[in-house]
Amino acid sequence: MTNSHTATSHDDVVRVEDLKVSFYTDLGVVRALNGVSFNIPRGKVLGIVGESGCGKSITGLSIMQLVHSAGRNEGGRILFREFADGDAVNILEYERNSAEMRGIRGNNISMIFQEPMSSLNPCYTVGNQIEEAILLHQTQDATEASKRAIDILTKVGMPNPARIASSYPHELSGGMRQRAMIAMALSCTPTLLIADEPTTALDVTTEANILELMRKMQEEIGTSIMFITHNMGVVAQICDEVAVMYLGRIVERASVDDIFYEPKHPYTISLLQSIPRLGRSRGRLASIEGSVPDPYSRVSGCPFHPRCPVAIQGVCDSEVPEETVVDAAKGHTVRCHLYT
Amino acid sequence: MSADATNLPTTKAAVEDVGQIPQWQLMVRRFRRSRLSVIGLYVLIVLYVIMIFSDFLAPYDHNKLDSNYAWAPPAKIAIVDGQLVTFKLKQTLDEVRFEWFYTADETQPLPIQFFVKGYEYRFLGLIPMDIHLFGVEEGYQINLIGADKDGKDVLSRLLKGSQVSLTLGFIGVLISVIIGSVIGTASGYFGGAIDNLIQRLIELLRSFPDVPLFLALAAALPPGVKVEVRFFLITLIIALIQWTGLAREVRGKVLSYRNNDYTAAAVAAGASHWHIITRHLIPNAMSHIVVVGTLAIPGAIGSETALSFLGLGILPPAVSWGVMLRDAQTVEAITSYPWMLLPVGVLIVTVFSFYLLGDGIRDAVDPYA
Amino acid sequence: MLNYIIRRLVNMTVLIVIVSFVGFFIIQLPPGSILDVQLTKMRERGGDISREQVAALRARYGIDDPFSVRYLKWITRSLQGDFGTSYETDQSVGERIWNRLGFSVGLSSFALLFTWLVSIPIGVYSATHRYTVPDYIITAIQFIGLAIPGFLLALVLLIIATNLNAIEVGKLFSDQYVDAPWSFAKFIDLASHVYIAVIVLAVGATAGLTRIMRANLLDVLNMQYIQTARAKGLDEAVVIWKHAVRNAIQPLVMALGSLLPALIVGETLVATVLSIPTIGPMYLTALRIQDMYLAGTILVILSFLLLIGNLIGDLLLAWVDPRVRYE
Repeated sequence: MTNSHTATSHDDVVRVEDLKVSFYTDLGVVRALNGVSFNIPRGKVLGIVGESGCGKSITGLSIMQLVHSAGRNEGGRILFREFADGDAVNILEYERNSAEMRGIRGNNISMIFQEPMSSLNPCYTVGNQIEEAILLHQTQDATEASKRAIDILTKVGMPNPARIASSYPHELSGGMRQRAMIAMALSCTPTLLIADEPTTALDVTTEANILELMRKMQEEIGTSIMFITHNMGVVAQICDEVAVMYLGRIVERASVDDIFYEPKHPYTISLLQSIPRLGRSRGRLASIEGSVPDPYSRVSGCPFHPRCPVAIQGVCDSEVPEETVVDAAKGHTVRCHLYT
Repeated sequence: MSADATNLPTTKAAVEDVGQIPQWQLMVRRFRRSRLSVIGLYVLIVLYVIMIFSDFLAPYDHNKLDSNYAWAPPAKIAIVDGQLVTFKLKQTLDEVRFEWFYTADETQPLPIQFFVKGYEYRFLGLIPMDIHLFGVEEGYQINLIGADKDGKDVLSRLLKGSQVSLTLGFIGVLISVIIGSVIGTASGYFGGAIDNLIQRLIELLRSFPDVPLFLALAAALPPGVKVEVRFFLITLIIALIQWTGLAREVRGKVLSYRNNDYTAAAVAAGASHWHIITRHLIPNAMSHIVVVGTLAIPGAIGSETALSFLGLGILPPAVSWGVMLRDAQTVEAITSYPWMLLPVGVLIVTVFSFYLLGDGIRDAVDPYA
Repeated sequence: MLNYIIRRLVNMTVLIVIVSFVGFFIIQLPPGSILDVQLTKMRERGGDISREQVAALRARYGIDDPFSVRYLKWITRSLQGDFGTSYETDQSVGERIWNRLGFSVGLSSFALLFTWLVSIPIGVYSATHRYTVPDYIITAIQFIGLAIPGFLLALVLLIIATNLNAIEVGKLFSDQYVDAPWSFAKFIDLASHVYIAVIVLAVGATAGLTRIMRANLLDVLNMQYIQTARAKGLDEAVVIWKHAVRNAIQPLVMALGSLLPALIVGETLVATVLSIPTIGPMYLTALRIQDMYLAGTILVILSFLLLIGNLIGDLLLAWVDPRVRYE
């Protein structure tokens, strides 16, 4: 069993401990999460970075207990501590559709998704959908809910919030829809917002606006954010702390500065090296050798070893590396044999 | 540290490389997993094989009259002296209900012979033959499933009728699939004015309710035409009513594929219209077409049966299962001569099997549907 | 929204006109039938017909006029309710159809009500409880409804019912109720004569619609906005009924709109098999004896019903799906 050590703050809003999730399909077993452990500090933005298929979305969905029914939880805990001075509860102990879990969703922990074009129900107005969340968790009064919906729409910077509220999703642009999604997610002032690649489907300008909005909301409302992305540039813009995932495991975790300036894990280093940079002399784009293995197979030892440029024969291919602390004060940990 | 459960040797070799299996093989695999559909397939294969050999299997010509055997019940079979026999029938008149009823005279066995000479036919429409699987002595009849009011053997009629019932609907659907696919593809691919025109035409055709329309068309056929001609015309009617549905579906599919990136890539690479249609659009739409086609067959068989049942389709002296149903639609048949109702069962089995098959193909082709 | 309605109405009107053209053409196919019929009847009643009378009839039916004039005369007469005289009896076509049409509509409405009430819940249940025993049973019944042609099913049920002596064939009412005023007892009597037809129609329609509902719902449940709804903390039942069904139901609404005419058409064969005196058998007889006025008129009326049903379906769809209104 492993524990996440965070020396900077013992006040984590969510602490995931050794989470294991597998999918049993006709063609084999997919071990999506192989013992994921990390913490989300209160009031901060934690980025979860990784390639497609590494399990980042599943992690977010697991916290909300929204994983597809084919997925099975096979161990671990997800501790949620709503208030700094309160108790922590293990979310996984609640039944998926129980009143407790539903009381958490949308209320204490919210989630926004990647595709703004299809994330809102086309049959109901935007205002209606926001009010639905408010009526569910905060008040029974329809007028009050309506007022709050317009409030939150104003807060997220919507022009003419009243008109937006009575519009249907297909009448709005992608950026506005994502704003509406954020408004809906924040309408009940959650303690944690999970954002699953919220800007990936948006153009760069809109993306910048949305990121700025999220920063602003985070400061105003004090929500912690778990930001899932594969884009290191976005990470640099918005994250305070970063966790790097590969094949269902966290391989490195550090503050955003340390990840960029003092990366330790070979995968992190390769990721950073493969980002094309303006002004660099033209050479070949560095890429990580090999490709992500097919999800049905199991890799022995360190999951990255087949592609690692500095893999140690006999060690990396047989033993899973333990988590080691590189810098306790700054909460920098890594899973690599180079550092054990 | 304790042994991690995930620390197993790489099993990549053991897991099949799913990416290397061709698409159609994956489809076949998925199809085989639906046991009901596989059963449907086997049943249909059996039915069609029987149909091919129907003349061989039928002991008598389907119109052979014999008043000695009017309403004869299914023949009793027994083994006497090591031989398979049936019995001569004693025909007596029931004075009360004024019906003939039959008793099998067990003192007069009639040996069943195999590979006997019987009426002439053309195997597969080409080879003249006259051998039949079984029969009895000249002058007597063996009615394995009984006989109708004129003494015509029900089994022979059933077998001969399969030639019509199993093929007419099939061919009709085939024709409508071809027409529908061509028109639908043209409509979807070329778009613009052609598309508009075709869509309006289809909309007009669909404004007429299908059942009354094909009843009207069938009723308009002159009754004096030859059997083969009538067969062909009925097939044509069924095809003409059905193609619009398929055309619309194909058009929809073609439209969605036409806007795909790989089509754009083909155009950018300089591919001709023909190439794009035949190499990209049709293969993708094909699986859908097969599904729709297979599922249309029960309807077509039903249409032919309905028409014949109403006396507007296949007419005597030809026979189809629908014609047999028409003969069976009397109170006496339902209550006293239940073997006349066998075509109902056979029809249901056929239609069901096609449906199971079509359903299985649909699931195999698009499991996310 | 208004735009959409207007466009649909115009479209329908155009189609109705074309359909009436085609219908009239069919009516006119057998050469000289109408005039001959009238003349034969008049001669049968005795006496000669004067040349003026013949000329008047010719003018009335426009025998010597070009097709378009004849069509206009027919249309104006029809819109006034005069559909001509039937070949078989002397009754006006309108009268004959009206009687039967009422029953056709009534019968189909029985079946329609059943289908409406049943197919949505069953479809939803079937989608949300896949691979359970009730789902398999539902699927089995669906199969029967979809695979077996309606008239065949009617035949089978008729055979069973006859053998059990559970039905009186060929009538809509028992003798004592034929001319009696409507009462609950008469209603029950009617039901006892037509229940097979209602069952067959309802099973067929329900099977198709349930299947559509199930398929649509499965599609919708994969959509992102369903996940969003769950993420808000909504109860699964609310997610399914308020969010998923509302989207999945759209194609179904269209189908339901055009269901009534489809049922009326569908009962053509079923009613013939079961010898129930509704529009279907009358149409068939008319075809057989080449009474084209009757047959053609019925065909045109059924087509109208189909078009109106489709229009209703389109309007219902626009009401239910906000995206459609802006096309």
